[in-house]
Amino acid sequence: MTPADNITRSKRRNRPKSIASGYLLILPALLLVVLIIVYPAALSVIQTLTTKLDGSTTGFTLEQYTAFFNDPFSVTNLLYTLRVTFMVVGLLFLICFPIALYLRFSHGRLASFIHILALFPLFVPGIVLAFAMIRFTITHGLLATLLSKFGIDQYTSPYLTTTGSIIGLVWEGIPFTTLILSAAMVQIDDSLLESASDVGANIWQVFWHIMLPLIKNAVVIIFALEFLGVIGSYTIPYLLGPAEPEMMGVFMERTYSQVHSPLQAQTQAVITFVIAAIAGYLYVRTVASQQKGEE
Amino acid sequence: MRLQVHALRLMLISAIMVFALGVLSVQAQEPTTLNVYVDADTNITDWLSNIVAPAFEAANPQYKLNVVIARGGISMEDVITRTMAAQQTGSDPQVDVIEGMDPSGFTQETLDAELWVNFSKDNIPNYDTLNPSVNILPYGLPYRGSQVLIAYDSTQVTEEEVPKTFPDLIAWIKAHPGQFVYCRPDKGGSGGNFVIRAIYEANGDDPSLFTADNYSEDLANQLLPPAWNILSDINADIYQNGSYPAGNLPTLQLLANGSVSMITAWSDQSLQALENGTLPDTIKLTQLTDLPMSGGYVYTAIPVNATHMDGALAFANYYVSLENQQSVIKDIGGFPAIKPDLLPQDLQDLLSAALSDKAPPIWPGGGWSDARNSGWYKNVATTLPATETPAPTVAPTATP
Repeated sequence: MTPADNITRSKRRNRPKSIASGYLLILPALLLVVLIIVYPAALSVIQTLTTKLDGSTTGFTLEQYTAFFNDPFSVTNLLYTLRVTFMVVGLLFLICFPIALYLRFSHGRLASFIHILALFPLFVPGIVLAFAMIRFTITHGLLATLLSKFGIDQYTSPYLTTTGSIIGLVWEGIPFTTLILSAAMVQIDDSLLESASDVGANIWQVFWHIMLPLIKNAVVIIFALEFLGVIGSYTIPYLLGPAEPEMMGVFMERTYSQVHSPLQAQTQAVITFVIAAIAGYLYVRTVASQQKGEE
Repeated sequence: MRLQVHALRLMLISAIMVFALGVLSVQAQEPTTLNVYVDADTNITDWLSNIVAPAFEAANPQYKLNVVIARGGISMEDVITRTMAAQQTGSDPQVDVIEGMDPSGFTQETLDAELWVNFSKDNIPNYDTLNPSVNILPYGLPYRGSQVLIAYDSTQVTEEEVPKTFPDLIAWIKAHPGQFVYCRPDKGGSGGNFVIRAIYEANGDDPSLFTADNYSEDLANQLLPPAWNILSDINADIYQNGSYPAGNLPTLQLLANGSVSMITAWSDQSLQALENGTLPDTIKLTQLTDLPMSGGYVYTAIPVNATHMDGALAFANYYVSLENQQSVIKDIGGFPAIKPDLLPQDLQDLLSAALSDKAPPIWPGGGWSDARNSGWYKNVATTLPATETPAPTVAPTATP
């Protein structure tokens, strides 16, 4: 019997006790989640499923939901939110893959400088970012002034347009995406990449056939978390985006506090939640399979 | 032995007395903290924290103000709901004064629950100094007024061009595409009141059609669509093809940096911005002469279950005092709620220039505001076709 076997045995013996104490440790957090998230959310969902359009309550009705999907205005906002979300996540991969690849293979001052630069947005609150973006991109703002120095005078500000929202959301998402991507890439053994290029694989083939499969989980996790972050975003689209169409977060808040239709806002929230849950499921499945693989 | 007991007793008594004195003096030094909830833009909340609070505390050293800003995360509605819930359960709402209310904030629900203290000469010594022409609510103490004005860049807009009436304004906007902007009506009153002015325009400039208790969906569907036509007609002529900022201050910013040359703006915010140089002095203010844009007074209210009722009343009384009313004019560019002849002559002169001779119409809020906030997005800002009729579909033809 090797010492390692001994350790596994003793670990196994302690298991029931450690499981109990483990549950005990997460109990306060679990209770908190149930009390302040699950319970009110469930109440809200039930309310949207039992209230008719005229406000009367009944056993079960989908009236709130059919009203949402029959209202071209609401559907436009939902589709718009999805479009913006996919665009932002797509752009994040497009921007952060080169950065992460660069950071994986380069060392030295410039690389660490770029690393810090990529992480910088992490320390800037969304609202500060929004106002900085306004100052930077507004008509006659810094960007416009710079462009006119180079003779470009036909400047249309992205402020208050969808492009404005997307720029802000991408900027906000860069640090997290870069962080996870480069962390995953660092774990790839150099020898794997070297042997691939030794047998004649070009850079693209190395990336596509060796690196990408190895960081697949990280990519799924980034996709899921950035998707959740963007679909629920509020500050950036509120301040930088157009009045209409609205991202669901902004739409919900306005429906609740400016149009005073809480039930409609709840319905919008539930629909957004169901879509977000798909991304959430993707995330949980990936993390769970990763843990299984490690065991 | 006897002496010893005596000494011991004396020591004990003096110890207790010293202790009691200590507690008493601590109590006397520790002022009562009043929780003042305010829902307003930063110019008002800054003023409240930096000017009103120290002045009030200097005049009433037994109180200390805790200014809680109900904006963004927590809304005043939440605060009021919480206060009403506390009233029903008899618990401490931890609210003393609710500040920055407009008439629509006093919902029927709160009135039915008798949530608000009624003000009179009995509980507010300064009550008699209020200007009777101001809309004084029994449960709301008016303390500052403001009005939405037109602010324009005088280097871009010539004196003759300055619009005097609403049709003039629309004509100017159409003639200068991209040079005018107002904010989303629900995100700031400067945009909201411009939209209201369009609603009045579409209904023969008759504000009396809209009252606090006549709102109904049918009436809204009849009175509002003509206004949506006026506004969607100029949508393409608004800054960058209908890019509406999300608030009063972002709108002022567009004017300040020359992105546009005309906006609608609150009187207080623009006066203050002119005062501190955020707006260049080439920016001029004007009001429509046919029917001024809405404005109104902002109210202070006290819930009947205020934690410190005496303190809350003392604060409300200070709010309408001559001292604070002068600060309203000088520090935040607001209109005072007290009789103008009580003010020093220089302030009386200043006001006569800023105030239009016509009283601004009062928008009832409530359901009417909800309908405005919903309708504007669906009919003016939207990229969807305005007509509800579905696009004609081509009937599928059977292929032979």
